[in-house]
Amino acid sequence: MSLTTLKILMILITFIGAFLVWQGKTFRIYGDQLGYEPIQPINFSHKLHAGDNQISCLFCHSSADKSKVAGVPPASTCMNCHSKVLPDSPEIQKITTAIADNKPIEWVKVNDLPDLVAFNHSRHVTSGISCQTCHGAVETMERLSQQTAFTMGDCVSCHRTHREVTLDETGKPQIARENTAQKLMASTDCSVCHH
Amino acid sequence: MKDKLWKQYIDEDDRGLPVLQNGNGISRRTFLEAIGYTTAAIALTSCATPEQKVIPYLKQPPELTPGVANWYASTCGGCSAACGMLVKVRDGRPIKVEGNPEHPISKGALCPVAHSLVFSLYDAERLQQPLIGGKTAAWNDVDAQIVQKLAALKSSGGKVRFLSNTIVSPSSRATIKKFLSQFKDAKHVVYEPVSTSGIRLAHLRTHGVEALPFYNFDKAKVVVSFGADFLGTWISPAAFIRGYSEGRNVNERKQDMLRHVQFESRLSLTGANADKRVKVSPAEEADALLFLAKLVGGSSQSANFSGFEPKSLAEPTMAAIKRCAAELTNAKGSSLVVCGSNDVDKQQIVNFINQSLENYGKTISISSTASEGQSRDEDIQTLFQEVKDGSVAALFILDANPAYDHFAGAEFLAALSKVPLKVSLSPTLDETTSAADYVCPTHHTLESWDDAEAVGGVVSTVQPTIAPLFQTRAYQESLMRWSGDERRYYDALRAEWQARYFGGQSTFKTFDDLWDRSLHDGVFRPAVAQAGPPAFKADGLSETGARMTAGSSGEGLSIALYPKVTLRDGRFANNPWLHEIPDPITKTTWDNYACLSPNAAAKAGVVEGQFVRIQKGNISAELPVMIQPGQADDCVVVAVGYGRTKAGKVGTGLGTNAFPFVEFANGSFHYDSKGASLTATSNFTSFAKTQTENSAEGRPLIKEYSLKEFVAGHLHEESEKQVDLWKPHDFPEHKWGMVIDLNSCVGCNACVLSCQAENNIPVVGKDEVHRRREMHWMRIDRYFDEKPDGTTTRFQPMTCEHCDNASCETVCPVLATVHSSEGLNMQVYNRCVGTRYCANNCPFKVRRFNWFLYPHEDPVANLALNPDVTVRSRGVMEKCTFCVQRIEEGKIRARNEGRPIKDGEIQTACQQSCPANAISFGDLKDLESKVSTLRHTKRNYILLEELNLRPGLTYLGKVNNDGEDLEG
Repeated sequence: MSLTTLKILMILITFIGAFLVWQGKTFRIYGDQLGYEPIQPINFSHKLHAGDNQISCLFCHSSADKSKVAGVPPASTCMNCHSKVLPDSPEIQKITTAIADNKPIEWVKVNDLPDLVAFNHSRHVTSGISCQTCHGAVETMERLSQQTAFTMGDCVSCHRTHREVTLDETGKPQIARENTAQKLMASTDCSVCHH
Repeated sequence: MKDKLWKQYIDEDDRGLPVLQNGNGISRRTFLEAIGYTTAAIALTSCATPEQKVIPYLKQPPELTPGVANWYASTCGGCSAACGMLVKVRDGRPIKVEGNPEHPISKGALCPVAHSLVFSLYDAERLQQPLIGGKTAAWNDVDAQIVQKLAALKSSGGKVRFLSNTIVSPSSRATIKKFLSQFKDAKHVVYEPVSTSGIRLAHLRTHGVEALPFYNFDKAKVVVSFGADFLGTWISPAAFIRGYSEGRNVNERKQDMLRHVQFESRLSLTGANADKRVKVSPAEEADALLFLAKLVGGSSQSANFSGFEPKSLAEPTMAAIKRCAAELTNAKGSSLVVCGSNDVDKQQIVNFINQSLENYGKTISISSTASEGQSRDEDIQTLFQEVKDGSVAALFILDANPAYDHFAGAEFLAALSKVPLKVSLSPTLDETTSAADYVCPTHHTLESWDDAEAVGGVVSTVQPTIAPLFQTRAYQESLMRWSGDERRYYDALRAEWQARYFGGQSTFKTFDDLWDRSLHDGVFRPAVAQAGPPAFKADGLSETGARMTAGSSGEGLSIALYPKVTLRDGRFANNPWLHEIPDPITKTTWDNYACLSPNAAAKAGVVEGQFVRIQKGNISAELPVMIQPGQADDCVVVAVGYGRTKAGKVGTGLGTNAFPFVEFANGSFHYDSKGASLTATSNFTSFAKTQTENSAEGRPLIKEYSLKEFVAGHLHEESEKQVDLWKPHDFPEHKWGMVIDLNSCVGCNACVLSCQAENNIPVVGKDEVHRRREMHWMRIDRYFDEKPDGTTTRFQPMTCEHCDNASCETVCPVLATVHSSEGLNMQVYNRCVGTRYCANNCPFKVRRFNWFLYPHEDPVANLALNPDVTVRSRGVMEKCTFCVQRIEEGKIRARNEGRPIKDGEIQTACQQSCPANAISFGDLKDLESKVSTLRHTKRNYILLEELNLRPGLTYLGKVNNDGEDLEG
């Protein structure tokens, strides 16, 4: 093989490789994960569950209003319905097998923040911020993809515009702009997220 | 194919080495092109953030919410004090222990050792499976072989001995008893290397009860201690500090305080906190005690000692004892005399003094079910003899490590080969366990079920907070297997409780209620018949007095041994947290040394860091000299717990073992004795100290006043109003502040370790501490001052003061340290480029720089990290954050519930675990909060106020109780 052939072959391999990686949506540059849509071990459709069947987000991500993490549902939550609904589907069989083998399902994390950021779901959910504000129209997605870049700019721009959150009579915070006596600040202090 | 392509351009020379072909189409340029292209292509294809996995449970435990901590009440297994603790469990792993405020004895106090439990849990050097003859084995094989050998023993009737440290659990003791009852000649030997058996035996003589009493420091008005380091290491320091600081607390409403006089030879943590400290050498202690006994004895009982004349005591010491006697007599029934010696005779005199002062039943309570410090020194001596005779057929060892911490350990180890069956149940492969035939490692405290009754009538529970990390088995379960009981220890424990406690109570209808409630609270208080203290027996007191007067002979220096506040007797020597905490008095890390007073060092012609050979009889040790102000001149003082030979990669080979200097006499171990001599050598070392300047140089860093001045209100001057160069900050919602009460703080270091555990602070090692690169966010400054009547010692906890006019913030070129809207001085790790300007400009020197990327490669050790706190990288400055992760957690909890934050709801790690309750934290904008109130008290002052830093941390001045004006 001559050197020219080798060169052509290498360029070809690169292009084919790049195309495949781009097609699989796993190609990302550090820090920019917008649109990241990895292939999951189970072909779970948010569109079907949250969109067509109108299942509330908190039904599965049950700790989103209690904890810093929203929580990925345990396999037993899936089987609450799927022991009756489509138990023979090959995708559901994967869950059944996982439970039988005592081997947890390893989902690929889509929305990931670096370890130096402490984000708390419960504070945002209980203040009435909808899940879609950050996660996009999840109810339309067959396969989940990242809809916000989750850069510090994204967080801070929202914290700046929602600086003044007022409390209603019961003490429950609501997003409003009028001047009331008690205000809650969406803080822009560094240590709120970085500690 | 590759081979061919390669060969096309490469030739081999006559030595068979590859050389580039000439003129075959590949030029230097082409070569570089190809290399450059492939490099770029490879780099580009690897441009993907690593894939992260998220793995949910298959079936989530109902009590668990991911990301939210669960707290479980348990009991500390660090020593026999058995303090109540709460274990923070995040996603199934314990990451922090804190004091259990509802525990009636420790009342939320914990010592540094308790905080270090988390580290020792994740120590991969713990034994991970059973061993037979040093080789890993399966539990089934171990059980089969041991049961077979035991069956032979049962018929032959050979001696079976069970050697352990104090076991505070009544249920475990029952299990051991049941196991031993299978054999004809069996005995449980309890051994403590730092023993308090003298006190137990003395109470056997005077009260007929062989138990340690509990000392209620909070009920005492006058405390006189003869060398008892009750704030540092003696019996139950965390609980004692709590009581002591309650007694010493003064404010506008409570204007009387406990008075504390300490007679001691070495400068202990307790002595450092005393109102009056009198230096007496170990040899003078007996005379001092007898003299006090004579003075307080009263006419009816003092007949025993009225003839006693203290010959060895100097005039000032006698005057001090006379004054003490007067003060104690004035406070009859609310005074307390304690003695740190393990000499039965001395303790008997102490009991007599306390009896004369009517303290029993008031400041001292005796219970026969108390099981603290249970050892009996005579028993281990007997066991040694039996082992040497070769008459022991089987020896079971649990935790006890006499091969290291007994003075005849080497001899014992050699004689062990005569024991045909040696089974160790210890969790680590220590000096003694290494010699065992079978090693059956038990669980860590945080993995165990158990109970504990350290103080009579208070039964604490121990519950596991994680499934066993390794293939270990509870020692109780091992013993049950070998006695044919196939139950789990959990079931046995419940059965034991049902039999012991359920019947005698009426609060709970079912046993499950009782059990669940006890586990929830961490403590159960069985009904105890209220009875006065047992009658005092004065038998043999005169003989004891005569023995003590005769016994104080001997020439040469005294050598006194002591356990360090952190390392204690050395059983946790493989825990680097405990090594890196500086000793509260010497401020030295990672080492032990021979402490000499300045006079003694001058007399011996040695300087600090010079090695001396201490010779006593045929025992000698070489240790570097530490010059210790405040120490008696005729003694050399050495810490035990060092010089381990098989502790693990951290603890092995650190310092020198001082246990060989222990002596056994009159039925107990003696930790001080005469007859030592010093020889200077020409070797030198340098200590890794965190504070090298001893004196405050007369600066008013610690404001202090006498109790009279405090009551009269003559405190420090009001400072002048200062002008700010900057605009004041606006704090719209909160302004966090901290107040540290220097009158309560005893300098015990629990806060430092609690902070380390909470904030993922790395251990840097001796070398780096020596270079002043320690990473502790919190430190306790210690100042010695030479006053006419001796050395005074003062402690001052120092951490980031969160100044409003922060000098660090103005010099940071990258805005990595800025002020928050809540008054916090924030450090933003990702902005920091490591100029260290801030640290240089900080007047309090509380900032720490990461010189290295401290490795986190051990996957087991990493489980101890707090997931709420960033693990800092190399080149980044860090410092106290006022536990901002806890502030945020508290804020979020309150806001989610739609309510304001309650005062005291947010506690910093240092505050929560302070045994003395010296630290208060809260919102200064809340005028009702405790910090706000304390800030407006008379004792509040600002450190380095002249710099106008407006710190968020202020101090409350120290009050000294000079005692009442007594005639003369």
